[in-house]
Amino acid sequence: MVYNAATGKAKPVEEEIITEENVYDRPDETVGFFPTQVLYDGYVSAFLLIACSVLSYYSPAPLSEPANTATVDYVPRPEWFFFFYEQMLMFFPGYALISFGAVAIPTVFIVLLFALPWLDRGPSYSPMKRPFASVIGVLVIVTVLLNMLLAVSRIINFPGQ
Amino acid sequence: MIGRARSQAADASKFVVDWMEHRTGVVTHMEHFLYEPVPKRGAWVYTLGSACLFLIALQFLTGILLLFYYVPTTDHAWDSVYYIMNDAYFGVLIRGIHYWSANFLMAVIGMHMAQVFFSGGYKAPRELNWVVGVVLLLLVIGLAFTGYLLRWDQDGFWASVVGMKIGSYSPFIGGATIHFLLGGDTVGPATLSRFFAIHVWLLPAAIAPLIGLHLYLLRRHGVFGSESEYTERLAKLHETQRLEEYSRLEMGDDPYDDDDDRYGDNGSRNGRE
Repeated sequence: MVYNAATGKAKPVEEEIITEENVYDRPDETVGFFPTQVLYDGYVSAFLLIACSVLSYYSPAPLSEPANTATVDYVPRPEWFFFFYEQMLMFFPGYALISFGAVAIPTVFIVLLFALPWLDRGPSYSPMKRPFASVIGVLVIVTVLLNMLLAVSRIINFPGQ
Repeated sequence: MIGRARSQAADASKFVVDWMEHRTGVVTHMEHFLYEPVPKRGAWVYTLGSACLFLIALQFLTGILLLFYYVPTTDHAWDSVYYIMNDAYFGVLIRGIHYWSANFLMAVIGMHMAQVFFSGGYKAPRELNWVVGVVLLLLVIGLAFTGYLLRWDQDGFWASVVGMKIGSYSPFIGGATIHFLLGGDTVGPATLSRFFAIHVWLLPAAIAPLIGLHLYLLRRHGVFGSESEYTERLAKLHETQRLEEYSRLEMGDDPYDDDDDRYGDNGSRNGRE
């Protein structure tokens, strides 16, 4: 939107000729960041803060017994956001494969994440118009969620292992 | 009387605001910052990014408060966390918020990334903001990993041992990296000190300026919500392109039409004369 420094108000924009170059210059409808978007952000932040506060009393942050380096049979659990990673390692057992599953695959994945903007350079934004990227994205999400589910079911099945 | 006090107060605040504006330009900057036009339709979806920012701010705040009691030594780490949870004022709340907002942060970062991915928000000219975002993700994962050891309880301790064992399988750099993190050959006092330094100094110091860069790049190119924000403009563009196509056909630029002089097949205009 054209900003008029003198009045501090947005100037009415005259009939603009839309071309391939300027079609994404500004959205159809805009609102001021303040107050509309700030208000929405505030609602979400307030909800999160209340949720954290309530949870910290209903389900306090865990603290198990003091660390004992002499223990030999303790089965540690990673935090839930590492479940999928831990589960993935189950598919690469033994010395020969573990470095592949633990390091090589994640490294390739992170490199692909960094390179994503240069791998997908097509002009369309909508996920429907770039099916390859969308399918890969959905597959990644499904894989992560399935691995998490597998890890959770393994932990419920074999609590002591 | 009240009216006079009010007008005096108004004058005083105007004086302060003008004084600050004259010296720092803060009012103009705030105006520019706050009245930025942003896309309207998906406003709720675009709160994911600011939710990440808010949760990281909570991490910084509660983390600083935890530092008032936490002791990063193997003898006292667990005891100090126990003290925070049982005796310190609002200890349960502060550690609880640190713990739960970290958990929420991982989930919200995932949703934020998915939203940007599926809306194509990483496309030119916003590539570098995606790259900065991936670096931020890795830093947050590092913070989550180093934070787990600090409570020095059985869970955190052994999970970190396993984590570092996995890391030691990295080809070439694995051994050296793990030796550096451990500060020796086994998990011990040096490990706790290093994890503490990394968790409260190194990674937060790296994450803060990168968040600034993330926000700067966001403002520089504007919020890109999704293609649906541009539906009408795209429809107009396609309409213009269609009309252009028609007029080109009418002007006789149609490649399939070799009857350029519009005299049909009855010879050319020259032939008729």
